[in-house]
Amino acid sequence: MRIAFFVALLAASIFYSYIAFADLNFMTRSGRLGPGFFPRILGATAIVMTIWALLEEMRNEDAPHGAAQQWRDVALLMALALGYAVLLRLFGGLVATVIFLAVALSLLNRGKPLKNALISVLVPAFVYLLFDRILNANMPPALIDLPI
Amino acid sequence: MDIFSDLVMGLTIAISPINILYLLIGAVVGMIVGVIPGFGPSAGLAILLPVTFGMDPIGAIMMLAAIYYGAMYGGTITSILLNTPGESATVASTFDGFPLAKQGRAGPALVMQAVASFVGGTVGVILITILAPMFAQVSRSFGPPEYFLLALMGMLTLIVMIGAQWKLGVISALIGFALGTVGVDLETGQSRYTFGSAELIGGIYFIPIAIGLFGLGELFYAFYSGLHKTGSGGIVEYDKEERFWPTAQDWLSTRVTMVRCSVLGFVVGVIPGAGATIASLMAYSTERSLSKNGDNFGKGEMAGLVAPETANNAASSGAMIPLLTLGIPGSASTAVLLAAFLLWGLRPGPLFMEQNPEFAWGLIASMYLGNMALLAISIFAIPLFVQIIKVPYRVLGPCVVVVCALGTFSVHASFVETFLMFGAGIVGFFMRLYGFSAAALVLALVLGPLAEEALRQTMTISRGSFAIFVERPPSLWIIAITIALVVLLPLLNRFGNSSSGKAEKAGQ
Repeated sequence: MRIAFFVALLAASIFYSYIAFADLNFMTRSGRLGPGFFPRILGATAIVMTIWALLEEMRNEDAPHGAAQQWRDVALLMALALGYAVLLRLFGGLVATVIFLAVALSLLNRGKPLKNALISVLVPAFVYLLFDRILNANMPPALIDLPI
Repeated sequence: MDIFSDLVMGLTIAISPINILYLLIGAVVGMIVGVIPGFGPSAGLAILLPVTFGMDPIGAIMMLAAIYYGAMYGGTITSILLNTPGESATVASTFDGFPLAKQGRAGPALVMQAVASFVGGTVGVILITILAPMFAQVSRSFGPPEYFLLALMGMLTLIVMIGAQWKLGVISALIGFALGTVGVDLETGQSRYTFGSAELIGGIYFIPIAIGLFGLGELFYAFYSGLHKTGSGGIVEYDKEERFWPTAQDWLSTRVTMVRCSVLGFVVGVIPGAGATIASLMAYSTERSLSKNGDNFGKGEMAGLVAPETANNAASSGAMIPLLTLGIPGSASTAVLLAAFLLWGLRPGPLFMEQNPEFAWGLIASMYLGNMALLAISIFAIPLFVQIIKVPYRVLGPCVVVVCALGTFSVHASFVETFLMFGAGIVGFFMRLYGFSAAALVLALVLGPLAEEALRQTMTISRGSFAIFVERPPSLWIIAITIALVVLLPLLNRFGNSSSGKAEKAGQ
């Protein structure tokens, strides 16, 4: 996983540099620093540094690996968060938050259905009041209106 | 006399009822953020920045600043009662804070940490009041070459302080700089890395990245570390103790420590990249070597708690100097504060205090009031914060996800930015896990566009010659100071860490 992360970073650095060298000019026609000056230096340095760090990582075999349980919990929360992002787009801020909290708490805080249900309703209500009513800020609108 | 009248003007602005309310909300929220393990001031500031958008700019900045220094007060409560620092700047407070609590002296420890924080914070604000105008005066001769070098100094010192993992720090900074290049190039009008998206023309906005990295990233890491499974079972029941207030001996034995560590913390705080964590560790080590009871450090010595507490609060104040007078944030938290300034169209720098006196002096004056409020809150609202410590992380986690997502959306009503925040959260988790520096990334994202602009202006002035950096005396001074910091900071870091290591062993 660790090596994969470094490889992904290297791929991103190469892609960034490719655009800097292919599409962006180093200097402008008037001889000033062009839009590609900074990106080219950044991209080239990022490639060198990432390869250096990657080679060191490959030599370092004693790097700690998390227990499967640790990964399961964090993967669950990440999946729930990404699911929430999709729900926000579909059902809007208020409904998506109620659904997300109900599902997340039933999985993470098992055995306390009443408490979880209360939190799933009260937190979205508080957040709605704070953002929409008090601060007059934007709440995500629903793409699909639920008949409630 | 000018400073005094400016300060009085600032006080008249700060003590309006609505500003006092914002200040108190900021102070309480800051303490809550500090109390929650895994969340530091940068996370609190990033998550709550969108909430301040509907407010008056002065009130909003006062509230954000109160969150920033309030987190230092809150972080120690868990250090003392649970042996778990709320954030990295309060790690040193566990060395003697928890042993004191185990000896049945949690009450006096909590009161003394509040007083030490107040003294450190207030001495820090007094020094800001005196020194900030002087710094602004000196930096008035600065031009684009100096601004570029200052941005470089901020980045270099931060990376140097990362220590053995410096390569990963450099890569983190490069990612931040690269994200900063997205959008339309203001000089030529050419789009860079927008891939035809209208949403990216204005560049990658700072807030989704900061909220993702510090809010969601830290939350994911807390779950990975198993914080959601550990309860608050080991919490010391301070309310069952006979004596809550410190003894005369506690006050007398720590009075010099408070003064000494306030100045030390402030000086370290002014240095970009050093920050409150290093200040607290250095103060602990220094006090340990100067104290007659040095051998008791790590076993429940009051001066061992007071020293880091005074220093980390003074350092938070010190970090405001380069922010206000140079426009250069020295840490992730002050980078978020800088972003807040920029959002309201204010550009901190040498002319900032002269051109925006109400704003600058209102903020400084509010810090005096904020520290007073925090002293009272820290002592009398301890039961409230103990209740917050008892909220399980598995319940808190999903609620933090909600605040991060809705906060990000509220800024520009943009789903792209909201998805970007979730992406930054996942990347932030892996960065944290594998030793990368989210602080370096965020600092580079803020400083990158400023540095690029300054460099291009410099090259235009010098007609493409880099010799300009050594021809101007202010530039030469900045280069000399940067070299000195790059050499000295790792030594100071090592000194702080080694002495603290000894203290930890002594306490075991």
